[in-house]
Amino acid sequence: MAFLLRRLAFYLAAFLAAATINFFLPRLMPGDPIEIMFASAGSELSLENLNALKLTFGFIDAPLHEQYFSYLKSVFTGDLGRSIKYFPLPVTDLLGRALIWTLGLVGIATLISFTLGTFLGVMAAWRRGTLFDSVASLLAIFSSSVPAVVVSLIVLFVFGYTLRWFPNGYAADPMLDPAFSWTYISSVIYHGALPMLTLVTVLTGGFAVTMRNNMINLLGEDYIVMGRAKGLSDSNVMLWYAARNALLPTVSSLAIAIGTILSGSLIIEVVFNYPGLGNTLYQAILARDYPVIQGQLLIMTGAMLVSNFVVDLSYVLLDPRLKKA
Amino acid sequence: MTLLRQLLHNKKAVIGLTILVLIVLIAIFAPLLTEYSPVRRVGRPHQPPSWEHWLGTTRLGHDVFSRLVHGARVSLAVGIGAGLLITVIGTVLGIIAGYKGGVIDEVINFFTNMVLVIPNLPLLLVLAAFIGQASPLVIAVILGFTSWAWGVRVTRSETLSIRQRDYVKSAEMLGEPSWRIMTSEIFPNLISIVGINFIGSIIFAVIAEATLEFLGLGDPNTVSWGIMLYNAQNASALSVGAWWDLLSPCLALALLGLGLALVNFAIDEIANPRLRTGGMLARWVGLVSAGEGKL
Amino acid sequence: MTNPVLSVRNLNIDYIGAETDFHAVKNVSFDIAPGELFGLAGRSGCGKSTIAFAVSRLHRPPALIRKGSQILVDGRDVLTLDDAELRKFRWREVAMVFQSAMNSLNPVLTIEDQFHDVLRTHTGMSRAAARERAAELLKLVDISPDRLSAYPHQCSGGMRQRIVIAICLALNPKLLIMDEPTTALDVVVQREILQRIDVLRRQLGFSVLFITHDLSLMVQVSDRIGIMLEGELVEVNDSRTIYRAPQHAYTRKLWASMPRLHGVQITGEVAP
Repeated sequence: MAFLLRRLAFYLAAFLAAATINFFLPRLMPGDPIEIMFASAGSELSLENLNALKLTFGFIDAPLHEQYFSYLKSVFTGDLGRSIKYFPLPVTDLLGRALIWTLGLVGIATLISFTLGTFLGVMAAWRRGTLFDSVASLLAIFSSSVPAVVVSLIVLFVFGYTLRWFPNGYAADPMLDPAFSWTYISSVIYHGALPMLTLVTVLTGGFAVTMRNNMINLLGEDYIVMGRAKGLSDSNVMLWYAARNALLPTVSSLAIAIGTILSGSLIIEVVFNYPGLGNTLYQAILARDYPVIQGQLLIMTGAMLVSNFVVDLSYVLLDPRLKKA
Repeated sequence: MTLLRQLLHNKKAVIGLTILVLIVLIAIFAPLLTEYSPVRRVGRPHQPPSWEHWLGTTRLGHDVFSRLVHGARVSLAVGIGAGLLITVIGTVLGIIAGYKGGVIDEVINFFTNMVLVIPNLPLLLVLAAFIGQASPLVIAVILGFTSWAWGVRVTRSETLSIRQRDYVKSAEMLGEPSWRIMTSEIFPNLISIVGINFIGSIIFAVIAEATLEFLGLGDPNTVSWGIMLYNAQNASALSVGAWWDLLSPCLALALLGLGLALVNFAIDEIANPRLRTGGMLARWVGLVSAGEGKL
Repeated sequence: MTNPVLSVRNLNIDYIGAETDFHAVKNVSFDIAPGELFGLAGRSGCGKSTIAFAVSRLHRPPALIRKGSQILVDGRDVLTLDDAELRKFRWREVAMVFQSAMNSLNPVLTIEDQFHDVLRTHTGMSRAAARERAAELLKLVDISPDRLSAYPHQCSGGMRQRIVIAICLALNPKLLIMDEPTTALDVVVQREILQRIDVLRRQLGFSVLFITHDLSLMVQVSDRIGIMLEGELVEVNDSRTIYRAPQHAYTRKLWASMPRLHGVQITGEVAP
């Protein structure tokens, strides 16, 4: 419990750091920060609306620290301002809508690739030096070294444009209304297949390599040898003695990997024109819609912190040494 | 030197180094490899690969091969430059935190962990968006100053274990100043970790540069693989069937990433003998199947 | 010696390298009689642990037990067993205590789980029956049965090593191999564990192959002792001879390199 509370306090500090970056960045740029932040608005915003936006971002006629607290207050009350491109849509609404697709994509892809990668890593380590190990290791190196943008473009070219097996964009058939029906759900699966395939391809290798290395480092441990000496079956020793212990460092490396996973999905969404955070962000970058660009940093940091906390929780469940400390 | 000799005995390293040397040579001799300028219109738009234009032309009529070989310079320069910066910051902070301990360690460790949980790409996007059109140099610098955390973590934990060794203890007894212990007793034992960090950082920087440029945050006048991707995507290269425009930089990036990753794996195997699966296992399998012995 | 429990004959073990092999065990032969405590001593890296691993065939590549070697346990050659026979043989006939007390129990399983998996695998015992048997075994090593639901990290080093010994006795093995079982423990705990082993082997009648680099400790507990030097067994004699009149020059050298203690026999009877 103390462990989890400490983690929570740390996450709060990290979120504050991200908000602080957001606050200072426009103020550190050469030129007028207000001019920079809302330049793309042109004359479309009424003075009243512009003033409301300024207030949200702490551009008030007061000393810097009061500006800072004014900004923090908006952030912690869930007010991230309004999109300039889609004025007056609040940033939280715009990003929240997109976040659902991203979380779905990232969540399922992480689950699949973590399971698959861990399994491959366990098998490769257990059969070290065999053909299976060599082939799996080579695939893993390939998967973990080729940039997501490259993999997604190649997948799009092969399956989207050349073979024409899957659609080239959108999360579902735009003619369909969102509904809890098989037609809609199957359309979502059909449209999500390529982004999912790409993300799984990019992620699996890293998990496999981590798990293989952790397993190999553990195989010399006395308790593994004792498991074998006890006459337990190979699969028993492999799963309950080796893999179960090797999983601990793998899970903690998952926490660091979440940043990479989110980044990968951003790119993939842009390439596949998938309506998640990445694509929304891409449109915002093209339009220099700064409130949205800043808002995504906070939302992504939030998502990262929540998933880190989930990893912490599962770590506590997996490692008896942390349960009662 | 022994590291280099061991690398040359490792199959993965030899393949990886061959790829890297090839790309470096291409980057150095780029102007000699092609008669076309990478920034001039030298043909009709979107010509497929031909004898004249080995990898076809872009929508603006630029020669893709020429842009590719010239672009290698930028990708390598950003990768190596940012990789160096990331590694230097990570190694210095990691050794100081691990060796000095106490408050210094806690402060460095706290910031490191904080940087690790702020997602990297979204942060880079915010930075790049405020900078506007970032030149390769600017990209390298912001990559260097935002991506050192992983290196600190790894270096620090390794330093913590080296600090306990006898030769460090005896150097302390002899009253050596701590900067000397850090530079001449601890650093030499971190060489493989630093090497892995350096190459991993190059991979990361190459990927991040290409990604930022692809997303339209780079300077569109640069000749680099990321800008090539950006231009090709803007020209809808895939939907108009000009696959060469997009796939050429794609494959180049994939090859560079693969070459670097192979070398990194090889260093890991050399540094951590348990991971090695070299010739001895092949010989062992041979001996067992010949009936010379068993387990 | 009639019907030895363990009979090692012409044992040769190599560690295969990329070009040259490391000859770790060179043509070693020795016997252990029923109920005997046989010590194997030598510097680290002399091949004594390699022999211990070979008896239960626990080696992994690139270790290789050369052809012509024989390891007879109760007259049966262990090196001819197939995988299924080997799994049955392990722990039922030869159990083993490993070097690091802190590290030979699986950190993510409870003590009960680690009794249960071995009992279930070999005897098909139910969870409840295994629990009862485990409690019985823990009593043999003076540990309260309520420790069964604990995880290894909740027990001290000495307690963990006694738990391992209890697990070793689960199937009444003929031979107990102890590979530097007390290196990580302090002298008091070390003594207590060796006394316990001595009592148990007299009570239950198993033989012990005891491996350590600590010759002065070894003469206090062993019946006979083998001295190893760079893979070769250079001298085998009873403890008294090894202590008072070592035959081989290397044995004398070993003694010279060690602080000499008074050779009080550690036996169960001397317990306070």
